Amino acid sequence: MAAELKYEISQHAYIKLVLHALKHNTTAVNGILLGRVNPQNENVVEIIDSVPLFHSNIALLPPLEIALIMVEEHYGSQGLGIVGYFHANERFDDAELGIVAKNIGDHIFRYFPQAALLLLDNKKLEAVPKGKGQSPLMQLYIRDTSKNWKLAGPDGGSRLVIKEPAANVVLSDYISSEKWQGIVDFDDHLDDIKKDWLNPELFK
Amino acid sequence: MVSKTEETQLNRLENQVDNGGGGAWEYLCLVRKLKVRRSEKVLKYGLSILNDSRKRSALGPEEWTLYEQVAIAAMDCQCLDVAKDCIKVLQKKFPESKRVGRLNGMLLEAKGSWAEAEKAYSSLLEDNPLDQVIHKRRVAMAKAQGNISGAIELLNKYLEIFMADHEAWRELAEIYISLQMYKQAAFCYEELILSQPTVPMHHLAYADVLYTLSGLENLQTAKKYYASTIDLTGGKNTRALFGICLCTSAIAQVSKGRNKEDKESPELHSLAATALEKDYKQRASDKLGLLTSALRSLKT
Repeated sequence: MAAELKYEISQHAYIKLVLHALKHNTTAVNGILLGRVNPQNENVVEIIDSVPLFHSNIALLPPLEIALIMVEEHYGSQGLGIVGYFHANERFDDAELGIVAKNIGDHIFRYFPQAALLLLDNKKLEAVPKGKGQSPLMQLYIRDTSKNWKLAGPDGGSRLVIKEPAANVVLSDYISSEKWQGIVDFDDHLDDIKKDWLNPELFK
Repeated sequence: MVSKTEETQLNRLENQVDNGGGGAWEYLCLVRKLKVRRSEKVLKYGLSILNDSRKRSALGPEEWTLYEQVAIAAMDCQCLDVAKDCIKVLQKKFPESKRVGRLNGMLLEAKGSWAEAEKAYSSLLEDNPLDQVIHKRRVAMAKAQGNISGAIELLNKYLEIFMADHEAWRELAEIYISLQMYKQAAFCYEELILSQPTVPMHHLAYADVLYTLSGLENLQTAKKYYASTIDLTGGKNTRALFGICLCTSAIAQVSKGRNKEDKESPELHSLAATALEKDYKQRASDKLGLLTSALRSLKT
């Protein structure tokens, strides 16, 4: 992909992903990004919502397949599709995009060539309560022409921005009030179908 | 590993304590018994007992168990000063104790002083080479430092000696899964099913791994183990029910064009689908539409 793309993530989608990672701070977690190419500007990919998926045995297929079918079905009716994948590693020091994330990313790429892989940046997350930064706490990876997932650098090329500039402030607030307790992921749903992975009440 | 009933009981108790209804000591005992990781709550409620001299003396000899439990929880929450204080109290009471020595090793771990922790553990192991907890701490240290292959090696060596440690088998399986080494994970679950054949979680995990490995034989076996999970859980396991449907669909895909003599009977799939629809209708009716479309796309 030679084009430089701007990935614009909504505060809503962004915060959900980070809260999910905070809730399950002893394991790796992942999530799906939903959105579309901006109808007025094909160089902008809008990440409008996200669904937190799993916090255990992320590399197993059956729960993932079910989740993808249901998520696609739900958002498809709203005109949105899967545009990317989010991953947070288990260990604080691990800043590598692992093989499981890449495999899932490859799968999404087949259906959406501008797919984004977001990896939580643990060091930036640690600094959130202190800083007033507006940059997202995630690293963006895109597939390049040699089929590898490349980190989108600060030196031009594609970039990730949060649509609402005060998102990190809101996030900080939520962290202090331990809002992550209320987050439900697909794992929780499979264990108890009464739990809703759409998290409709979370930001009310 | 905790059963659903045990987890519900624990959560109920936790809610009770959270809302000021008492039962902190009961909660802490249950956490200890079930070996779950609820470090923030343990730290909070454990300290509230330890810092109250009346509540503390009411515990009698259990006081020391609580100090140990709170020390470990404190280390998990990176409250190293609290941990240090608890360990100091225990050290004073049990000056020659190996158990306290272990806690000191864990404190070094919590500080990230890996080399010193390793030294502490090695010397404790010299006097007590069969200390399971210390062996497992070394696996944990390897994992914490990102040395996954080292963790696997240590864990395998551990299991050669302590082959009845189910949690260790599960840990090993999960590490293998995270590295996409599904065949090796399958082996672990096979061991678990052999030694604990009536625990449904092992059947389910095994089925999930087999499905992920794919291939006709694996898919057919996976289907059998989803079925046994359903059997062992009285039909209430959502994941297993979905598993049946996924398997039927995948098997049909894989055997397309092959004149398979033993045609898969569709009954199991329809039973599972019906059970899912009934459950969603009752407990998650807003998702029923999604479920129906999902099942439809899985019906081949």
